[in-house]
Amino acid sequence: MEDFWPLALWALEIWLYLIVGLIMVPAMFGFSLGVSETYMTVLVKTLEWATLKIQKVYAEERALQASASNGSGLIKREDGSMEKELEELRRSRPKPPVGGDFTLSDSFYFTRRGIESIVEDEVTQRFSSEELVSWNLLTRTNVDFQYISLRLTLLYGVGILVRYCILAPLRITLVCIGLTWLVIGTSAVGLLPNWRMKSWLSEWVHVMCYRICARGLSAAILYHNRENKPQKGGICVANHTSPIDIVILCNDGCYAMVGQVHGGLMGVLQRAMVRSCPHVWFERSEMKDRHLVSKRLTDHVNDKTKLPILIFPEGTCINNTSVMMFKKGSFEIGATIYPVAIKYDPKFGDAFWNSSKYSMVSYLLRMMTSWALVCNVWYLPAMHQQAGEDAVQFANRVKSAIAHQGGLVDLQWDGGLKRAKVKESFKEQQQKQYSSMVVGDESSSSD
Amino acid sequence: MGALQSVPGHPEYVDLAEKTGFSFEQIGILHKRFKQLSHNEDTLLREHFSKIPNLECNPIRSQIIGAFFDRRNFRQDGEGTVEEIGFEEFLVIMSHFRPPTLHMTEEQRESVRRDKLRFLFNMHDTDNDGTITLEEYRHVVEELLSLSEAMEKDTAKSIADAAMLEVASISMGHMEPDEFYEGITFEHFLKLLNGFEIESRMNVRFLNMDTTTLCK
Repeated sequence: MEDFWPLALWALEIWLYLIVGLIMVPAMFGFSLGVSETYMTVLVKTLEWATLKIQKVYAEERALQASASNGSGLIKREDGSMEKELEELRRSRPKPPVGGDFTLSDSFYFTRRGIESIVEDEVTQRFSSEELVSWNLLTRTNVDFQYISLRLTLLYGVGILVRYCILAPLRITLVCIGLTWLVIGTSAVGLLPNWRMKSWLSEWVHVMCYRICARGLSAAILYHNRENKPQKGGICVANHTSPIDIVILCNDGCYAMVGQVHGGLMGVLQRAMVRSCPHVWFERSEMKDRHLVSKRLTDHVNDKTKLPILIFPEGTCINNTSVMMFKKGSFEIGATIYPVAIKYDPKFGDAFWNSSKYSMVSYLLRMMTSWALVCNVWYLPAMHQQAGEDAVQFANRVKSAIAHQGGLVDLQWDGGLKRAKVKESFKEQQQKQYSSMVVGDESSSSD
Repeated sequence: MGALQSVPGHPEYVDLAEKTGFSFEQIGILHKRFKQLSHNEDTLLREHFSKIPNLECNPIRSQIIGAFFDRRNFRQDGEGTVEEIGFEEFLVIMSHFRPPTLHMTEEQRESVRRDKLRFLFNMHDTDNDGTITLEEYRHVVEELLSLSEAMEKDTAKSIADAAMLEVASISMGHMEPDEFYEGITFEHFLKLLNGFEIESRMNVRFLNMDTTTLCK
């Protein structure tokens, strides 16, 4: 028993040296020893095998479910407009000789529309995790899948062991090292006087730490169109799925962050980062003042030595199947916009942060116990606000470009609907349309 | 009982399928939707419905939501309202909107028709006295017409009155000046909508689904 503690300490030392040597150092300098590649290949093959096995047993049913859970059409909707449908509804009734053009049957149209939106609507499904076509051997996605074969169950068991006992501690260690290094490194660089080397060093420190964190999440990122990478003096906008988006993007370049000042661990990170290169952190009270926010962003953008700003205009996390309304604030500044589309592959792990369901810590733990994080990042060509285009139209244009590239659904709804209610003006739209049909007709027919 | 398409792990679906006529697949989908709306709880409350943005924009949303909590629609000859519903009640309400299947006799079609019209009637007869009174009728008109446009309450009132007059003349024929029309009873309602093909208009059609139901 007495030998236990020294032995344990020795094992821990070896473990740390291995991590530093095999994972951290390559990550810091941006090359790879091929360990993660091998892991990914094995993982992909395993999941493919599992999928085939599952599909063989549930052949027809899976095919039907696949087409159904694509989200774009559980129910068949009438394509007609309100006017066309109401006209059809009224065709069987004679026009009343007296009074306005209203009949009780008009309400049937609204009833049907209401029931359709209860069965399926475009918005509420964006705030919960995407459904998988086939099970990926994680407990958390095991919704309806039943016992299929011994080998599959064994694989699932092995998977749990590997993920929780080997991968998770490894990843947690890496992330801790990464964050500590970020704080120490940026503070150290911050102490240097303003040489030209300083900005180069600060970029290097930042990228290094984010690379370590990315390894800590087993992230396999594929960057496309790197010639369109955001330049200094511009604003980079992307669709938002989780806070990990920042790690994904910063692995390939340095950005200035925008956000609220937090306390605790986040606050420590924020203060450290600001020491080595300028970021834009706002106090909570300052966030309400739109002019102040706008001015600070404009100042940052106009200074050509400062890094491009990274902004997520949706304002909240969406589940990576669609892109919701972009808030126009960042599009009013008049700077060059560099759109970026991020699409995660849900087979390996669900990256969406459902902030009403999970806290930040439990979300990170879930991330670290998934298989891996696979995503594609597309850099789109820069966009400018065109003459005669207002900020809202510009924002929508950028949003469509991002949605198109990432294969996401382009929605007009506001992501804020996750928590807030629909604005009154939207509610009255249908009423107005209907009234103009009824009263408008009356004024023309009565004389 | 013919070819039962069994889904392992959901024996309770058999009862529900028999009761409502939905297929197992449709029940599965609606169950997922129920859980999504109720945030994984067992019962649905009125406020869960107000989270659906498209529904919030609907002028008669309160009647539609009310219909889900109205015991007259649960096919158990109950009356009054409830405050929360389980999945079974949700499914029963949805079954009012099932399209009629292809091989239905004339009698079955008629009963489907009556059933749908009864549902719509209950939606507007909010005080459950068996008639849609002038007040209730006016209420519907007011909800559908926008109050913010330079329209006053009087305009809505007069439109409702005129429409009600027309209904009275169709249902009762000629009325004496001192006769008072109490309201639209369910029989009058059926008569009014005689030519109306409601069984093809009040449906929610599921796409790509295996819509075979159990053979009875």
